[in-house]
Amino acid sequence: MAFNYDKYLRLEKMPTLWCWGCGDGVILKATIRAIDKMGWKQDDVCVVSGIGCSGRFSSYVDFNTVHTTHGRTVAYATGIKLANPDKHVICVAGDGDALAIGGNHTIHGCRRNIDINFIMINNFIYGLTNSQTSPTTPQGMWTVSQKAGNIDPTFDGCKLAIAAGASFVGRETMLDPKKLERLLVKGFEHKGFSFFDIMSNCHINLGRKNKMQSAMENLDWIDSITTPLSKYEKLTPEEQLNMFPTGVLKQDTEAREYCDMYQEIKDVHQGKRKVITQDDFEKKI
Amino acid sequence: MSLMKAPENTQVWVDTSRCKACDICVSVCPAGVLSMKAEPTSTLGAMIDIVAIDSCIGCNDCELNCPDFAIYVADKKADHVKFAKLTDEAKARAVAIVENNYRLPENYGK
Amino acid sequence: MSTREIISTGNDLSARAAVDAGCEFFGGYPLTPSSEVMHTISDLLPKVGGVAIQMEDEIAGICCVIGAAMSGKRALTATSGPGMSLKAENLGLAQMAETPLVCVNVMRGGPSTGLPTRVSQGDVLQAKNPSHGDYKSITLCAGSLAECYTEVVRAFNLADRFMQPVIVLTDETLGHMHGKAELPTLEEVKAGIVPRKKFEGVPEDYFPYECEGDQPAVLNPMFEGYRYHFTGLHHDKNGFPTEEINTCRDLIQRLEDKVELHRDELELNEEFMCDDLEENDVLIIAYGSVSLAAKEAIRHLRKDGIKAGLFRPITLWPSPAERIKHFTDKIKNVLCVELNIKQYTAEIERVSSRLDLEGLYKVNGRAISPHEIVAKVKEVF
Repeated sequence: MAFNYDKYLRLEKMPTLWCWGCGDGVILKATIRAIDKMGWKQDDVCVVSGIGCSGRFSSYVDFNTVHTTHGRTVAYATGIKLANPDKHVICVAGDGDALAIGGNHTIHGCRRNIDINFIMINNFIYGLTNSQTSPTTPQGMWTVSQKAGNIDPTFDGCKLAIAAGASFVGRETMLDPKKLERLLVKGFEHKGFSFFDIMSNCHINLGRKNKMQSAMENLDWIDSITTPLSKYEKLTPEEQLNMFPTGVLKQDTEAREYCDMYQEIKDVHQGKRKVITQDDFEKKI
Repeated sequence: MSLMKAPENTQVWVDTSRCKACDICVSVCPAGVLSMKAEPTSTLGAMIDIVAIDSCIGCNDCELNCPDFAIYVADKKADHVKFAKLTDEAKARAVAIVENNYRLPENYGK
Repeated sequence: MSTREIISTGNDLSARAAVDAGCEFFGGYPLTPSSEVMHTISDLLPKVGGVAIQMEDEIAGICCVIGAAMSGKRALTATSGPGMSLKAENLGLAQMAETPLVCVNVMRGGPSTGLPTRVSQGDVLQAKNPSHGDYKSITLCAGSLAECYTEVVRAFNLADRFMQPVIVLTDETLGHMHGKAELPTLEEVKAGIVPRKKFEGVPEDYFPYECEGDQPAVLNPMFEGYRYHFTGLHHDKNGFPTEEINTCRDLIQRLEDKVELHRDELELNEEFMCDDLEENDVLIIAYGSVSLAAKEAIRHLRKDGIKAGLFRPITLWPSPAERIKHFTDKIKNVLCVELNIKQYTAEIERVSSRLDLEGLYKVNGRAISPHEIVAKVKEVF
């Protein structure tokens, strides 16, 4: 089927500045297809991106777009969404943007469960600035800031998001763009903070000095470290150590969304309901 | 789902101004429809080439995996284009292309 | 001009001013001595359908405000010195992307953690350049309880006029002072609201950052059919990143000129008992809460036969250079009084070309009393 991406693109900005074979382009296309499936009007969509290669995402798409400072996408998006709760806000950030400098904001976006779609493009490295270690760079890999080999432990963005309170957490790779699109649609449909860990290839920065010079080799590696959740749950702990589960990892449709809860605050101050107390919440701690 | 009008009777077509010769579409095509060819004026010295358009099965993998909006596949229903079935010959050609560094070997099939 | 009287604190008045001036969004973080602005506005805003949110840190506080402002709302944040330092990077983005907002800084003892519950005017230089790079700061300074209100109102109109952040400096003395303020009526405030310019034509003809060299960008609210791009990178007329030589140069020059060439719209001073000053009389230059002590000192001095007057800049940046020079050219005896070490005196020296100004500086978190000023005048002149 020929999908017309041109409607959603700022055509004068093509071709993209991403390297040849960069997964960012595939994720961009999947996101566009997912937005199209949702039937959202372009005027009702805001895309907020951070700093890094993934940060350039927002300049290619024809929505209301914001290119923020490093790590702050969720904070900007929170302001935009709270001020315009009926609009659709999508954040796009890299692994460094989301988990290093932006870690705190990511945590609190999850905690508030505000209806923002947070796409973390995880290429396991700082790409744009040429190969520095990120919180997801595997130990032992070569990075330009740790040429003797990376000693920094990694952490799992999805586990962080689940612990922090995001009500939708999913992971996919760009190996199967259709699967990716379906996950994005599920998350976009979900009301609450939707956290996506999308694994992508950076063969130019991560791969080149780590024995994965081509896009395909990098993709093969990602393939070898991911498996659907149902299969993952059947692995032994030793096997699970080096695998990431993919698919929908958490979906809580009962969790209350922040803009809805803020409406209650407005109602209190406008005399439409009594003051909010602990009795309004199941969780009292 | 918005659809783009395909050129007449064309299963797959490319926008060479956007292609960055990353080889991905060639690597995912199951029917050996695509290959890279030498192109001295492009950055990587190569460019996408459609070498066996009649073998195209319309699986759309090339389009889905192209990061640069450079390749498009016709719509089975809307564009009234006939797609082929996947043959052993097509599969073999795909393997040969990938093994030859994503280029159709010279004199292949002759 | 008809007025109303409100008895309250400076912080409370600043919050009320924002709501009266059409602010619809507040984002912030608790920081002594500014927290009460947040406390008050978190009750006032939701009542009128606005949003006030306490974010997870100071940086998130300014970021969500910039986001709301980018989407088209009047937005406020309030903080003190340490928070300004944290907000610096994103204030820079708001300058670059030309996003209007108001940032109230209730100054406290610094540097660093300093004296959280005590007064200073130590953030004056920081307000001139909180962030890296070239741009022109607009900084107002409240010198009374009433100005904690009126300067915030003025700040919102200036922010929309110049399409950039406006900093309103108050201080711990004024922020926590509880007293009577004579304010313009609500009707007058509402009538004086001048919202940002909007482009009314077809989206195809809309280039948000294409404007005359001394004008701010015309940025339509989001979600109304005009889609464009905000970025902190150098950008072209659509807001898209660019490194083109002429575009970059023109952009930065315009950020400078849009303020510099319209200083007349920004300048606001108080000249207290200056009309009869002659060469051998005394000019005191002070601003903020210090000016309250200065005025009292001037009444004492005049009773003692010393003719003194106060020049009080209300817009600190850009500085009222010509007006300052008018006085410093005329009057020999000039005393600068600040709760910092020469931060604004340096600017007065620069615009007056005089290095013989006297000064009274205090940095131990205590206010300067009228007696101290009287004694200093008698000592040095």
